[in-house]
Amino acid sequence: MSKLKLSGVSKAYGATLALRRGDLEVMAGEVHVLMGSNGSGKSTLCKIIAGSVRPDAGRILIDDTPATITGPRSARAQGIGIFYQELSLAAHRSVEENICLAALPVRAGLFVDRVSLKERAARYIALFDGVSGEGFAADALVGNLRPDQRQLVEIMKALASEAPLLIFDEPTSALDRAQVERFFEILGNLKRRGRGIIFISHRMDEIKAIGDRVTIIRDGETITTLNLDETDAATVIRLMVGGAGDMPASQSSVPAAVDIAAESALTVRNLSGAGFRDVSFEVGRGEILGFGGLHGQGQSALLRAIFGAGAITSGEIRIGSERFDASSPRDAIRRGLAYVSGDRSRDGVISGRPIIENVSPIHYLRDRLMIASPSRLRDRVLPALQSMHTKFASLFDPISALSGGNQQKVIIARWLIDRPDVLLLDDPTKGIDLSAKADLFTLIRQLAAEGLGILLYSSEDAELLGNANRILVFNGGSVSRELTGAERTRYNLYQAAYEAA
Amino acid sequence: MAEIATGPMSRRVGSIRRLLERYPFLPALGIVAALFLLNGFFSPASLSYRALTGLLSTYMALILLSIAQTYVVYAGDIDLSVGSILSLVNVTIIVLMERWGGGAGAVLLSLALGLLLGLACGLVNGLVVAALRLQAIVATFATSIFFTGLALYILPVAGTPAPTLFWRTYGGRLFGLPFVFYILAVLLVLLFMLARTRLAAQLLAVGDDRQAAYQTGLPVVSVRIRGYLLCGLFAALAAFCITGDTASGDPLVGGKMTLYSVAAVVLGGSALAGGWGTVVGSLLGALTIGLINSLVFFMGTPSEWQNFMQGLAILLVLMAGVLAGRRARP
Repeated sequence: MSKLKLSGVSKAYGATLALRRGDLEVMAGEVHVLMGSNGSGKSTLCKIIAGSVRPDAGRILIDDTPATITGPRSARAQGIGIFYQELSLAAHRSVEENICLAALPVRAGLFVDRVSLKERAARYIALFDGVSGEGFAADALVGNLRPDQRQLVEIMKALASEAPLLIFDEPTSALDRAQVERFFEILGNLKRRGRGIIFISHRMDEIKAIGDRVTIIRDGETITTLNLDETDAATVIRLMVGGAGDMPASQSSVPAAVDIAAESALTVRNLSGAGFRDVSFEVGRGEILGFGGLHGQGQSALLRAIFGAGAITSGEIRIGSERFDASSPRDAIRRGLAYVSGDRSRDGVISGRPIIENVSPIHYLRDRLMIASPSRLRDRVLPALQSMHTKFASLFDPISALSGGNQQKVIIARWLIDRPDVLLLDDPTKGIDLSAKADLFTLIRQLAAEGLGILLYSSEDAELLGNANRILVFNGGSVSRELTGAERTRYNLYQAAYEAA
Repeated sequence: MAEIATGPMSRRVGSIRRLLERYPFLPALGIVAALFLLNGFFSPASLSYRALTGLLSTYMALILLSIAQTYVVYAGDIDLSVGSILSLVNVTIIVLMERWGGGAGAVLLSLALGLLLGLACGLVNGLVVAALRLQAIVATFATSIFFTGLALYILPVAGTPAPTLFWRTYGGRLFGLPFVFYILAVLLVLLFMLARTRLAAQLLAVGDDRQAAYQTGLPVVSVRIRGYLLCGLFAALAAFCITGDTASGDPLVGGKMTLYSVAAVVLGGSALAGGWGTVVGSLLGALTIGLINSLVFFMGTPSEWQNFMQGLAILLVLMAGVLAGRRARP
């Protein structure tokens, strides 16, 4: 019996198509695995089912009857429970309150029924007895727990919905072996009781252990659904990559060898910090070093730490031959580092201010500029913007008048007035259109040719393959593999990224 | 060796932390106690029964207003119109009581209408902030001007007196005890019950992380609106106390109290970002402000320096509270 059926579901955010055509059918009593690379649309699909994202088009059937899901409440009412990858917990509330938060038991229609709340929460807490770790208690505040314990709370919260259809979006990323095993026992029980379960994970071994069928999504489109016991890991990866995974066409076109011996721009030795550990590499002047791997494996944390915006616990960084310990981004900028984040609204754009003000802050800092005359500033700002074909009507228009791609060009332009030595790119093309991407990478390659050392983290493998001279694949906070020369293929990138951590 | 030494030490720090987690208002309580002692040191008479009754009846309005503010702060919102709601309710009940003759029936009916008016103001704020999604700080600033305008229309100049029955009751005694003590007792019971409601838990969850609360399936908009309703209700109650205390109507009486109420919430250990706090803390925070004002007076500060000293003292207390409370928050 079909618990849930989606056909032709799509969702666009502005110009970005997060999900082009999502098809999925989940049966009662099965664990249905969703697989796809970063940004392929898995999480969007799950959020559509859970009601926190509204689809633009498509049909949803629950128990073979057409359904409209208007929001998370409506999804719950229709029997859907979800584990959110980014968690949906209240940090200042206790474990038991979080578990029952969606439907707090009430006495006299008004008061929280503490007794039955405790009882209900205790049932789900008991499921993980013995593996939940030190300090895990019903009345502990969630904010005081370790990441793996928080993930357990989110699992318990999803289980407490007692929904016939449960979605788990990467529920095991922070869990240890014993916790995962316990969780899989629980899932097995639910399966036997006829629940439908959607499961997302990047660990091949887990998927084999728990999954019945797998649906593969690539570039926002459902490719196919397979029985897991009739297929193998290589087939699945090949399907995720696209038919021609190891054909020459998907190989890197960029020359592998850059004359590093000449001079190194940035050297990192055994660097550890929050989110990454023991990372070493060297990037030469004129080289583009790519960071690959699944999302959130330490790439962004490392780049931010190098830029002085994140904590470093041990190891050393050298710029050229000089030791460098950035205590703050301000310091890093003075020493010739530049950082561009894909999260423009948080890390880049000065919202509501004119374009010219968005281009000039780094110039103010590096030139110790006190008073700026608009006309002199314009002479410096315009060439930087034009070098990237930025489209704008007037320098004094607010930056919000521009498209995402053009906004990102403005952000990059601010680093071009006074040339940095090292450029840190943290998934810089997130959410921007194809022509802007092309302009950006033309510029990036040109900057490399002019002698900058460039670190490029991208969640899109095509960007890495198309631009990086070497690629470091990250897994669980450290570099698991370095791809050089002819090894730089889509297939190898995937394989390195999906190896069990 | 070092590890053995740090063991019990860290456990002690841990237990202080747990205590603060459970009762986040403890630092505020300590500060109130210290201020009482200081007041007593400078003027023993300030700790007399009479003086304490006076302190309570003067600051009961601010206490209630701070509690009103706390409920919206719980949800990560803010209400800069509480003072104006207080003024509006104050002049409305004064005018109604006067028009209806000032008898017991007139007073009770006016109070009932005053409560409804407070709720209506809360509803307006809630709709503007939660349903229309305007920035709470600016939207409630705008509604505060709007409410003040209404208050000025109802009573253009301060001065209409309250019926004798009303202020005599507020400032008087019942079965030998000052009336404000009954108010305080009823208030404490009410706060105790409100703290156990589902709404309080939902407000805090919404304030903790609005997106997470939405994804959990909480009715975020309705919860926030109900927070503003509660706020309007308590602002109306605060208006009753100010009316009892001043025994007259004044369309601008609450203006200055708004930011005091915000300060009291923070002094009481609540997080302005939402998700963390207690109403008892705000009660103590309001008392702190009252005690600082009387301390500055009892220390014999020249009148031209009193504002300066009050500001300085509030800053000091805020620092002390932050230092003590910082450990508690996860």
